[in-house]
Amino acid sequence: MDVETLRDAFLDAQLSGDRRQSIRVMDEGLGCGISVKDLHLGVIQDAQYQVGRLWERNEITVAREHVASAIAQLALAHLYPHLPRNAANGWRVLLACPTGEQHELPARLASDFMEMAGFDVAFTGADTPESAVLEGLRETDAHVLALSITVTHHWPALERTVHGVKAALPAVRLVVGGRAVREREQSLAELGVLCSAERADVLVERLVAELGEGGRS
Amino acid sequence: MTLDVPARVQQLRSEFVLALDGQGAVVQADPVGRRLGLEPGVRVPDRLDAGSRLKWDDFFARARKGSTPGWELCVEAPEGAVLVRVGGAPEDDGRVWLVGSLVPQEFEAVMGQVRQAMAEIADMHRTAAQQQRALSARNQELAELNRQLEDSSRGMRVLHHEVEEKSDSLRRMSEVKSRLVSNVSHEFRTPLNSILGLTRMLLSRVDGDLNDEQEKQLQYIRRSAESLTELVNDVLDLSKLEAGKVALRTGSFPVAELFSALRGIFKPLVPESGVELVFEDPPPELPELDTDENKISQVLKNLVSNALKFTEAGSVRVRVRPGSQPDRVIFEVQDTGIGIAPEDQERIFEEFSQVEHPIQRKVKGSGLGLSLCRRLATILGGELSVESEPEQGSTFRMEIPRVHPEVQEMDRLDQEATQLDPSRSPVLVVEDDRQTLFLYERYLRGSGFQVIPARSLEEGRRKIETLRPAAVVLDIMLDGESSWGFLRELKDKAATRDIPVLVVTVTNREHKARALGADEFCVKPMEREWLIRRLENLGRYRGVIERVLVIDDDEVSRYLVRKMLADTSYQVIEAEDVHDGVRKAQTERPHVIFLDFVLPTGTAFDVLDALKIDPRTRNIPVVIQTSKQLTEEEVQTLSRESTSVISKQSLSREVAIARIREALLQGGLGHGIEGSGVEGRGRAEGA
Repeated sequence: MDVETLRDAFLDAQLSGDRRQSIRVMDEGLGCGISVKDLHLGVIQDAQYQVGRLWERNEITVAREHVASAIAQLALAHLYPHLPRNAANGWRVLLACPTGEQHELPARLASDFMEMAGFDVAFTGADTPESAVLEGLRETDAHVLALSITVTHHWPALERTVHGVKAALPAVRLVVGGRAVREREQSLAELGVLCSAERADVLVERLVAELGEGGRS
Repeated sequence: MTLDVPARVQQLRSEFVLALDGQGAVVQADPVGRRLGLEPGVRVPDRLDAGSRLKWDDFFARARKGSTPGWELCVEAPEGAVLVRVGGAPEDDGRVWLVGSLVPQEFEAVMGQVRQAMAEIADMHRTAAQQQRALSARNQELAELNRQLEDSSRGMRVLHHEVEEKSDSLRRMSEVKSRLVSNVSHEFRTPLNSILGLTRMLLSRVDGDLNDEQEKQLQYIRRSAESLTELVNDVLDLSKLEAGKVALRTGSFPVAELFSALRGIFKPLVPESGVELVFEDPPPELPELDTDENKISQVLKNLVSNALKFTEAGSVRVRVRPGSQPDRVIFEVQDTGIGIAPEDQERIFEEFSQVEHPIQRKVKGSGLGLSLCRRLATILGGELSVESEPEQGSTFRMEIPRVHPEVQEMDRLDQEATQLDPSRSPVLVVEDDRQTLFLYERYLRGSGFQVIPARSLEEGRRKIETLRPAAVVLDIMLDGESSWGFLRELKDKAATRDIPVLVVTVTNREHKARALGADEFCVKPMEREWLIRRLENLGRYRGVIERVLVIDDDEVSRYLVRKMLADTSYQVIEAEDVHDGVRKAQTERPHVIFLDFVLPTGTAFDVLDALKIDPRTRNIPVVIQTSKQLTEEEVQTLSRESTSVISKQSLSREVAIARIREALLQGGLGHGIEGSGVEGRGRAEGA
């Protein structure tokens, strides 16, 4: 059983709204020894991309897309207890989507990847206003703010949040991830964030490299 | 017909219609379309979001060719992104109609809520999973901790066992050491005494003159032998203390006498260097002490000779004053000597410890003196401490109770023993060791027996003459006396023969004890239950100890006395008239007689007269009980003739028992003991 076959089976389950089938696919993958990371990226995330493309081809409606997202959330929740975890590295991360950004799933995925790497993650969810981000940072005393952005339309909101945090909490390190990153390499360089990446796994790798091997100093 | 729709109704519509040119630019728009920002002149794809723009070309190409329903697009309207469902159809003039519906936007809003709920549930799930993970981690930690605890508890058990073994072997070693020290010291003393004696004899020149050199040598020998004797004595004292073999000899004495004796002892010993030894007069308000004078003297002698050793100039002062608490006294020995450094002040009380000092090397000492003093102070119920400053001098201070705690305890015991408890049987305990007496007292507290202590055979003899115990507990190891003789005495005399005797020894001498008539035998230590069971058995085996003869014609009166004494150790014998009463007194030999004043065949006087004639009954105490109002003369006579007179109305169980005991005491147990009588001891009560 390879990842593509699983992805197709999972997509079928998403499009037909079959929650049980989606879970069976996950269990089958785990049973075949496919890593949780591969299930995250190669199966769930890839299937989500496919769903987006199907909507663009007008083959499915937005309603169907929502069902697919819900099933993807369910699958992630199912995998959560199986996450292989590194020892805690001592860094605390607050993960948020900027104002208006409704795509929560990619952020959720990034959160799971960070946990696997040993980060202590707090997740504020989709569409988090700047004030709520600042409050969350203070509350959790986080060292890092990770912002997840899928739709470039919300880029201005992201920039506002970045500037606000830099002004209020200059010690907090900033990272940005998500599909929109691809189109905004230039403005990211201008924003001056610690690192960025489109994919969750790459972002976490970069973040770990930037923070150093030694863990929280 | 064109429908003229008013603006307020237009607001309610959720559809819009646009006419587009061939490039997708708006040519005409209805109010709803304009509200979305799709006004004439605007290119539709320019107002779509990125995803929808990708769809547009496909959709528009199809719409130009034919009717194309059911496409979703996301319009970036002035009020935000709006999802619309559109359809398109071509017009002959090249224009394209675009009709759209806002209904999906409403669905989108609802879906947003659902999505939010979904996200929250996912969050909760993660939180629960995290908590579960934390719990299982905690569980593992606890299991690990538990394992470690078990390990260390096992370790503790092993260690504990080792410590026990070590302490056992130490105890054995210590016992061996004590015995060795004690034996060796004795062995030392004999030759030392010979050396001292012979030296003195030579020095007294009984056997001829000595030259100066010889005298000097003999003085050296004498001094060495003396200090060796001192050392041996200290060692012996300490080993005795360690073995707990020191007997406390208490007595009361004024401190002034103690000081004057000490003054005498030290007079020849005060060095000529000019150190002054002063025994200050005790404060006049200080009462006599009641404790072990010898031990205080021993401590003071030690402290004073120490002080003299370490003082080269100035004075040594000995004083006594009231203590920090009432009924305690403080003895102080203060010198102006070399003093003791703070770090050494506790060490000097350890055995064989001596402080480095030039003087220390000059003076002789065993290093045991202060250790001995401290132990003696403890035995006296107090403590010994020191206050000192180097080169300024030292003050040794012993604070002890004015009355030794054991004396206090003993006083209490003696006091209690003078008042017999009618509900308990007295047990005479002959035992020289106070601690053991206290132990008996504790053992028998709350039982049916009362301890009457006797700390010497002499005291035991005295007590048995004035009271009749239910049993005697006899310690055979009485200090300096042999109790075997006392046992023989008890068993030889008819008066005391039937008092059960329980012999207690430290070594098994049961054979001898039984041969001399002991009723029960025990090797120390004994247990409380055993003692009480034995005493109870002795009572039962012997039968009732005291016999009471009731001479009364009234059956109810006899019944009353019988009932009153039913659960006591008294056996009741009954007689109905003068003749019967006198006969029973002669044959049954009662210990006490209860006599009714008025009898069918005579009066109490007839009975008393008859009893007096017979030597067997002469000394039996008689308690007259009567319901008759007696004349003053009758009371006088009866009081002379009998032990006590009580009225029947006032007779109760307590009164009966008290009278019997009183009668037994005053009658010298009521039989056979020489020199005891009843003359003039009568009393009248309630008559």
